[in-house]
Amino acid sequence: MNVREVLDERVIDLQMKANNKREAITYLAGKLKDAGYIADVDEYVEDIYLRESMGQTGIGNYIAIPHGKSDSVTQVGIAIGKMEEEIEWETLDGNGVKLIFLFAVGNDNENAKTHLRLLAEVARNLGNDDAVRALLAAETVEDLKAVF
Amino acid sequence: MKIVGIAACTSGIAHTYIAKEKIVRAAEELGFEAHIETQGTIGTEDEVTPEQIAEADVALIAADIKVGGKERFKGLPMVEVPTEAVIKAPKKLLQTIEAKVMKK
Repeated sequence: MNVREVLDERVIDLQMKANNKREAITYLAGKLKDAGYIADVDEYVEDIYLRESMGQTGIGNYIAIPHGKSDSVTQVGIAIGKMEEEIEWETLDGNGVKLIFLFAVGNDNENAKTHLRLLAEVARNLGNDDAVRALLAAETVEDLKAVF
Repeated sequence: MKIVGIAACTSGIAHTYIAKEKIVRAAEELGFEAHIETQGTIGTEDEVTPEQIAEADVALIAADIKVGGKERFKGLPMVEVPTEAVIKAPKKLLQTIEAKVMKK
């Protein structure tokens, strides 16, 4: 398997509209629910906010990586939302956020190692400023996949 | 400067791997060498070898949780920072470390 296989069009929206952080997370969680990655939006969002309370997930460069482990996750995956305008978020560089990678990970990961390794690979790319620039410029899912 | 170290974060899903990439890229740009082990949800990967440790000038622990195997770095100067510090300003951090470690 390679990284592109965890990038699922059904949970990617590169023209996302959201006015704030909670709207963005809830919207992407709804997509995860519709595509069968999570069983319950409210429970999942609550677990995401639990992790948010432990430290900043805005890593700078307009990128945020909300995540955390939730029992409501039935399949490991990642939802991606990109917005034209930045929204407020707790970030390392004080800027807002335009591109969100919402990780769906469960608590029992014995059978999910392959997928988790791919999520780690996605995260690794977010540590590369050139990749981040290309991601922020992506207009289509194909553009996005080409970065990985 | 040769760096060995460990990256680890609270959930072991994302920050760990971003931190590693930031350190390795910053090291490359500065002409340093960095070998960083990740301790995450999928377990330990890219484990640093005894040879890498023997050749290293400094150990860098970028972690938000307790990491395993720090005793392997005994005898090396050790720098411990949260993952945020290396994600935010990796080059500056490595330059600061170099100034302290290499100019003794």
